[in-house]
Amino acid sequence: MNGFLIYVAKRFGQFVFVVVTGVTLAFLIAHFSPVDPVEQTLSLVTSFGATDPRSVEILRQSLRELYGTDGSLIEQYFLFWSRVVRGDFGPSLSAFPTPVMTIISRALPWTIGLLTLATIIAWVVGNTLGAIAGYFRDSRVMKVVGLFVMALQPIPTYISGLTLLIVFGFLWPILPISGGAQLNLEPGFTWAYITSVIQYGTLPALTLVLVGIGGWFISMRSLVSNIVTDDHVVYAELGGVSSRTVFSQYVARNAMLPQVTGLALSLGNVFGGAVIVEFIFNYPGIGKLMVAGIYAGDYSLVLGVTTFSVIAVAVAVFLIDITYPLIDPRVKLG
Amino acid sequence: MRLFKKIALAAVASLLALPAVGQDFIAGIPRNEALIIQGPTAQNADWFNVWAPGGGASVNGQQQLTTDTLWWINPEGGDDAWTNALATEPPIYNEDFTTMTVKLREGVYWSDGVEFTADDLVYTVQTQIDHPGMGWSAAFSLNVASIESPDRNTVIFTLKAPNSRFHTLFTVRWNAAWIMPKHIFEKVEDPLAFNNNPPVSLSAYVLNSYDKGGNWAIWKLRDDWQRTTIGMLQDKAPDVKYVVYAASGNPEARVIAQRNHNLDVINDIAPEGMFAIMKDAPETAAWLPHFPFAHPDPTLPSVLFNLQKAPFDNKDVRWALALLIDIRAVALGSYRGAANLSALGVPPTGSAPENYFVPMQDWLTNFELNTGTRTIKPYDPTIATQLAGMVRNQWPDQIPTDEAALQRSFGFGWWKQDVQAATELLQKAGFTKNGNQWMKPDGTPFEIRVMVEGDAIPTLARAGTAIAQQWSQNGIKATVDVAGPTNGQRLGTGDFETAIYWTVETWGGHPDLSFFLDSYRSDFIKPTGEIQPPRNLQRWQDPRLDALIDRNRTLDFDSPEVVALGIDYLKLVVEEMPMIPLMAYNKFAPLDTTYWTGYPSAENPYAASGPNWSNVRYMIVALEANPNAPKP
Repeated sequence: MNGFLIYVAKRFGQFVFVVVTGVTLAFLIAHFSPVDPVEQTLSLVTSFGATDPRSVEILRQSLRELYGTDGSLIEQYFLFWSRVVRGDFGPSLSAFPTPVMTIISRALPWTIGLLTLATIIAWVVGNTLGAIAGYFRDSRVMKVVGLFVMALQPIPTYISGLTLLIVFGFLWPILPISGGAQLNLEPGFTWAYITSVIQYGTLPALTLVLVGIGGWFISMRSLVSNIVTDDHVVYAELGGVSSRTVFSQYVARNAMLPQVTGLALSLGNVFGGAVIVEFIFNYPGIGKLMVAGIYAGDYSLVLGVTTFSVIAVAVAVFLIDITYPLIDPRVKLG
Repeated sequence: MRLFKKIALAAVASLLALPAVGQDFIAGIPRNEALIIQGPTAQNADWFNVWAPGGGASVNGQQQLTTDTLWWINPEGGDDAWTNALATEPPIYNEDFTTMTVKLREGVYWSDGVEFTADDLVYTVQTQIDHPGMGWSAAFSLNVASIESPDRNTVIFTLKAPNSRFHTLFTVRWNAAWIMPKHIFEKVEDPLAFNNNPPVSLSAYVLNSYDKGGNWAIWKLRDDWQRTTIGMLQDKAPDVKYVVYAASGNPEARVIAQRNHNLDVINDIAPEGMFAIMKDAPETAAWLPHFPFAHPDPTLPSVLFNLQKAPFDNKDVRWALALLIDIRAVALGSYRGAANLSALGVPPTGSAPENYFVPMQDWLTNFELNTGTRTIKPYDPTIATQLAGMVRNQWPDQIPTDEAALQRSFGFGWWKQDVQAATELLQKAGFTKNGNQWMKPDGTPFEIRVMVEGDAIPTLARAGTAIAQQWSQNGIKATVDVAGPTNGQRLGTGDFETAIYWTVETWGGHPDLSFFLDSYRSDFIKPTGEIQPPRNLQRWQDPRLDALIDRNRTLDFDSPEVVALGIDYLKLVVEEMPMIPLMAYNKFAPLDTTYWTGYPSAENPYAASGPNWSNVRYMIVALEANPNAPKP
C-alpha cells in the first residue's frame, strides 16, 4: 500500500506541474494577444455614433481603470492565481461586468452534455465495430462497414456538419439546425424541455459521432487483429472454447485497456469544447464561447475556459494514472 | 423479424412526424404574431444596462425597441428624414451656440406607468457626468457646463464652448444617448454595476423573455404602446405583437432558416447567398427589387493609406495607385457586380446622391489631373453603367435600363483605369522602372501590403485581393495582409500601409458631414504607434481641411451652406486622394414576406431595415401581417 501511496504522490506532483505550466502558458499567450479588450469595447461604443476624439480618450482612460488592465504583467499574474484558487476568473472584459464563471457555468453544461454523449456513443460503436471487424476479418459485412467508416474518417468536421445541416435542415427539414433548445421554452427538468434539448442536440451529436467513430474503429480493429494471433487465443481456440467466449473474454477485453485510456483522455478534452461543431450549429457551448473571447480580446474569458480545459485534462490523466495499477498489475508501482 | 419490421415502421413514422415538430419554432407564441430577426449571441444576456460598458451598443433588440431619445434621422433620407421624438421641435440654440434649449413632449410613459419628464433628461446627463466610464459620460463632461429644467417640459443646456452640433449626441442615426429612467436608477448605488434587469421601456415594446445563454431575446408590444413617441405616430395597433431577436448561426444556417420561414429578417449574408435566395424564393423581398438587391449602408469602404508612411504621403503616388485600379473588376470580384460605386468621399446613399453626386457630375467630368507630362480628365461617368452591362447577361430581367435607376443601383461614375497616366505620375514622384518592377526613389522595390480584415467582411477582403492583383500586374509587388481580429487595433495604431476599410460614415439622411468630418481635424492626429481616434485612420492633415471643419462648426445644422461646404470637402478629397473611395458598403438583407409585408425598400425608404439599426423600430410598427400566412 505504501508503494501505491508513493506512486500517487509522484503522479500528483506531475499533475500540479502540468496544471501550473499549462495555465501559466495560457496566461502569457492570452496577455500577449494583440487584441486589446478596452479598444474592442471602445470601438463598439464609438463605431456607430458621432464621436468626439476627446471623449474617446477620456472613455479609454476610464475603461482601463474599470477593467483593471493597467497593472504590470507580474501583478496581473499573481492577481490571476489568487482568483483561480478561489474559483473566480474576474469579470469578462467583453461582457463586463458579468463574471467569467457565470458565463462559463452557462455554457459548460451544454458542452459536457453534447460531447460526453457523443464521445461515449462514438467510443462504444467504434470499438464494438472495430473489435468485430478485427476478429471476423473475412466477414463481407464487416468489410463494407470498415470501408464506410474509413470513408467518413477523413472528412473534415466542417463538411460533415454542413452536409447534415443541409440534408436534415433544408432538403428534408426534420431537425432544428441552430441553438440548444426551442425558443421561449423555460429551462428545467420538464418533458418538453428535455425532448427539445435532445432534438436540438441531435445534429451536432451526429456530426461528432460520425467523425469520431473512425478513429476508435481503426485502432480497435488493429489491436484485435494483433491479439487474435497471440498464443493464448490460439490455444483457447484449439482447446474448443466457443468463438463468442474467445472474442469477448480473450480478445476484446485485452484490447480494451488502451481504448479506455483514450476514452478518459477524450472525456478530459470535453472541457475544451467542439469549436467547429458548436459554430456550425450555433450550439451554446464552451468552444463557441472561447472563439468569441479570442476575437474580443477578452483574456479573462479565454483564460477561464483554457484553465478549465487544462485542469480537466490533467485530472483525467491523473485519474488514469492512479487507476492503472488497480486494473493492470503489469504497471509497476513506486 | 416481425418485431424488427414493427420497430422499423415505428422509426420511419416518427421520422416523418418530425417536420411537424420542427415547425413549432417558438414555444407559446403564435408564429404569425412574431417577427423573427437575426440577432447576436450575447454573453452578457442578463445585462440590460445600455448606458454602461458591456451594453453600450447592444444589438439584441433592447436598444432598437425599448429606448428613446430626443431626435431621429432616417438614414435613408427623404423629406421627413428628421423626426422629433421625445422633443417636440428641433434644438433651439442661442446665437453663438453656447446654450441649447429642448422642448419635451408630454404624455410619454415608461412601461411601468411612470411619466417621462424633463427630470429624466437632466438625470441622464448629470448621472453620466458623475460616473466616468458610462457610455456618454465623456461627451457630456466635455460639453456641458450646466443643465437646468425651468419647467416640466423644458431643458436648457449651457455649454462649456460653442458647439453647433451638441444636439447630435441626442440624435439617432444608429444610436445616441438614450434617456435613463430616473425613477429606477436613482435607487441604485452604482449605475455602472447595475444590470437593469428587467429593463423598463420608453418605446413600444418591452422585454418578454430571454435566453440566459444569450441566443435569443423576445420583446412584446406594450399594452399602452400609444403612450410612446412611436406609438403616437401610429393610427392603429402594430400587427407585430412580438419581436424575436434570435442568433441564427452561420450564413448557410441563416439562409436555410429563412427558407424554412423561421427567420424573417437577415442582417447580412454574402452576395452569393442573396442571389440564391432571390432566384429560388419568390416570397423574398429586398431593398432593391432587382439586381443588385442590396441595401447600401452610409459607410464608404475605401483604400486607406497610412499618410504618415512614405511613399503614401505623396499625392501623385496615391493618384497613380487609383488609376491602376479597374473598378469594374474590383466590383465583380468583391460583390459579383452588385456594387454601388463612389468616386466621391461620401457614400452614395440616403440624401447624398441629390445633395452631392448629381450636382458634382459636371465638375467631376471636367476635373483635370496633371500627370507631370500632360493633363488628363480621369473621370468616367459611364463606368457604373458599364458595370451594369457586364452583369446584364447573368440577370437579363433584373437590371434596370432607366439611367436614374442604374445610378441608384450601381453608382454614378469612377476613375478610368489609365496605366499610362499612372506611369507618368509615378515618374513624376521620382519612381523608376526596372523591368516590370517599379522602384522607389531610393532604389528599393515598390512593395505594398494591403490589409484586410478577412472572413468577418468577405466582400472587402475580396476587394483587397482584386486591387492587390491589379497593382501587382502593373509592376508593384502587392500582397494581401489578413489582420483578422487585430484589424481594428492595427488601423488605430497605424500598423498598416494600405487597408480596405472605411473612415467615412454619414448621417445618410442629412447632408451635414460633421458625423465623421469633425474628428478629422489635425489637432486630433496622433503619431503612428499611438492610437488614432476613430474615423481619420489615414491621419489626413491639411490646413484647407481644418478650415472647412472650423467653418462647419459655426454653421447651423440645417444651414444651406452645409451642402456647399460639403462639396468643397469632396473636391478636396478628389484633388488630394487621401484615400481611394470605392463603393458603398452594400448589405444583403433578404426579407421573408411569408408572414410580414410592407418592408422598407428603395421605392419606399421609410426606415432602415437592418436589425441592428435603432431606426428599425419604424419598420417593425409599420409591417403588416400577411393574410396568406400559414395558420398556426
